[in-house]
Amino acid sequence: MGSTLVSAIGFGVVLASIIAIAAMGFTIQFGLTNVLNLSFGAVMTVAAFAAYLANRHGVGGWSGLGVGGAAGAALTLALGRGVFRPYARRGAHLFEMMMVTLGLSLIVNYAIQALSHNNIYQFVVLPSTPLHLGSILITHTQLIIVFIAIGVLIALISLLQLTKVGKALRAMAADPDLARACGIRTGRIVVLTWLLSGFLCGLAGVVYIINAQSVGYTTGQLFLPLVVAAAILGGAGSPLGAVAASLMMGIVTEIVAAFGSEAYSTVAGFGILVVVLLSRPGAVRGGETGHTQLTL
Amino acid sequence: MRSRKTWFAAAACGFAVCATAAAAAAQVSRTSGGTLTVGGVIALTGSSDFEGQNQVGGLYPALYAINKAGGVNGDHIVFKGVDTRGDPADALPAVQQMLATTSGLVAVAGPDTSSAPTIVPVLNSAKIPMMAVAGESVYDRNTAPYFWRLFPPDAANGTAMVLWAKKKGYTKIAAVFGTDSGSQGDKPGVIASAKALHLNIVSNVDLTPSQPTYLSSVRKVIASHPQAIMTESDATTAGTFFGELKQLGGLVPIIGTEATFTSPWLTAVKGALGADFLKDYTGLITAPSKVTPAVKTYQHSVTAVKSKEPSPWQSYLSNPFSITYYDGMIAVALAMVATHSNKPTVFNAAIPSVTNPGKGKKVVYTFAQGKAALLAGKKIEYVGATGLIDFDKWHNSFGNQEAVMSTSSLKPIAKGVVTAKQIEAVPVKGA
Repeated sequence: MGSTLVSAIGFGVVLASIIAIAAMGFTIQFGLTNVLNLSFGAVMTVAAFAAYLANRHGVGGWSGLGVGGAAGAALTLALGRGVFRPYARRGAHLFEMMMVTLGLSLIVNYAIQALSHNNIYQFVVLPSTPLHLGSILITHTQLIIVFIAIGVLIALISLLQLTKVGKALRAMAADPDLARACGIRTGRIVVLTWLLSGFLCGLAGVVYIINAQSVGYTTGQLFLPLVVAAAILGGAGSPLGAVAASLMMGIVTEIVAAFGSEAYSTVAGFGILVVVLLSRPGAVRGGETGHTQLTL
Repeated sequence: MRSRKTWFAAAACGFAVCATAAAAAAQVSRTSGGTLTVGGVIALTGSSDFEGQNQVGGLYPALYAINKAGGVNGDHIVFKGVDTRGDPADALPAVQQMLATTSGLVAVAGPDTSSAPTIVPVLNSAKIPMMAVAGESVYDRNTAPYFWRLFPPDAANGTAMVLWAKKKGYTKIAAVFGTDSGSQGDKPGVIASAKALHLNIVSNVDLTPSQPTYLSSVRKVIASHPQAIMTESDATTAGTFFGELKQLGGLVPIIGTEATFTSPWLTAVKGALGADFLKDYTGLITAPSKVTPAVKTYQHSVTAVKSKEPSPWQSYLSNPFSITYYDGMIAVALAMVATHSNKPTVFNAAIPSVTNPGKGKKVVYTFAQGKAALLAGKKIEYVGATGLIDFDKWHNSFGNQEAVMSTSSLKPIAKGVVTAKQIEAVPVKGA
């Protein structure tokens, strides 16, 4: 019983690490632009395939993190500038934009499905060797993934708190009009947001396939609901909140899977989302944004 | 006035007679040189879309072979896909639309397991012959006259898996099945057969499709120390589960159902396991026939239509589902030739007469051979690419099962046979 619980918590931390990297990217972009970007999962998949293809052409497995991140950043920027911004300028509101992102997600997913011939491809970076940390059974790869997530969190917090760009990002997220009035070049900040969010999205996609040791067209789709839930639960624009929410969701889902059934694990994660939002609409860390207009 | 009334009465009678005749011939009334339609009622999209790929993988070659030999009774046959999406709620309106709008519909390939309970009664009422692959045990004693199954019931496949495990000396088994209806169909057969053969099911795990991770289920399986895993699930789920199982050092021999020996599943698990896949996986499939003219014709037909086949087309050369659909459609076409009729109400009952063994029958291996023999006035026994076809009174026909491993190019390599007699001898209860 005790060992099962400890083991489930261990698995939960691994799952949370992957969710957290993506959720940090999602929340930064959502907090600043207000776009509930449902194409995020599709971008994860594209980035994962980019890393896979790079690996096939001789790029080292861990270097795939950079390749995937760059692919995610480039695609997200292209979508942001080429699709979301024109729609916003034509008067699309939050709901319309969400539908646009949903449509994009379907287009990209079906394209990947067709190009990948529905196949799943092997992607092994580190030969798996299980480690026994007490009752926790974990692999070296998973341990590295946990450290990557911690590293991303520290880097992101440092960027937001210690740099001018970070201040500008936070100012934009709080009040875009006031930020613009204060001389912040909001257009550039939005571009930076797309790049940052896309990079983290791509990074999460690659981290996921490093853990799963395979890549398929459903890679990002499987994670999207958990990522969106963690970002909302953690509060829009709050990386720390996203990590806290990811941890909560990861651990609860694995505990439910260990003691109950896998079928209810994701349901339990969303149950937390519902309960927390009902009892505290500001969510775990409280949203930093109050505006409801698209900022693109 | 009276003559006008008489004229109207005569016209009305004539119209009624014509209408009745038209209705009677509504199923199929074709002049020579027309087109008949075979409906493929299966999941063409969604998570079970591989079932549709398996089906067209066998139907295109069948229609190629039939049409190349001049068609049936002067008519050519075309294929029309009807997407069930693996969901009865989607299947019913799609099938109703097919019935309402498809002219010359002579048979249906399918339905699949998930939509069979809804669709079989509908097609049976419409008097459309079905070549189904639904594995549920309810069809082991099928009474629907238009339902035919050239495929082992799930329970038989499960029993064959357990017999193979026993033959290999395994005593502790983990049952790992997806929660989708297709995967769950085989599980009762595995559990009941294991009980009957005194094998211990040490863990019984259900995998909900589309989860990002199955770490807790993996842990349960590892903690139960099985000697082998019996399994069926969709490809993505299997890839994730077995990948994680391998990473955590819990990989043991895998014994898969017939549904696992399909390109998406094999590709997914091969992708997740790498080199271990070749030595650790065994699938129990309908025993392929020895290399007969039927097999050669099937493979030639697949090659001939490779541009229409789903990718990779080579996988359909040995796909057990595709071969089954192929044989089913050839049998239907031969029954049409035998009865000189394209009306399902006429040829349906004749299907066993062109397949089942019998005295004085000429053995044929291809549609062309069968058609020529029938037109020469002979009785035939079609031995298909799946081998002997012998429908019982419940319209079921299945033979031996073969344990196979896969090559890296997903072709089967025989490891041993589990005979139909061995399967029937297992006193299975509750499957």
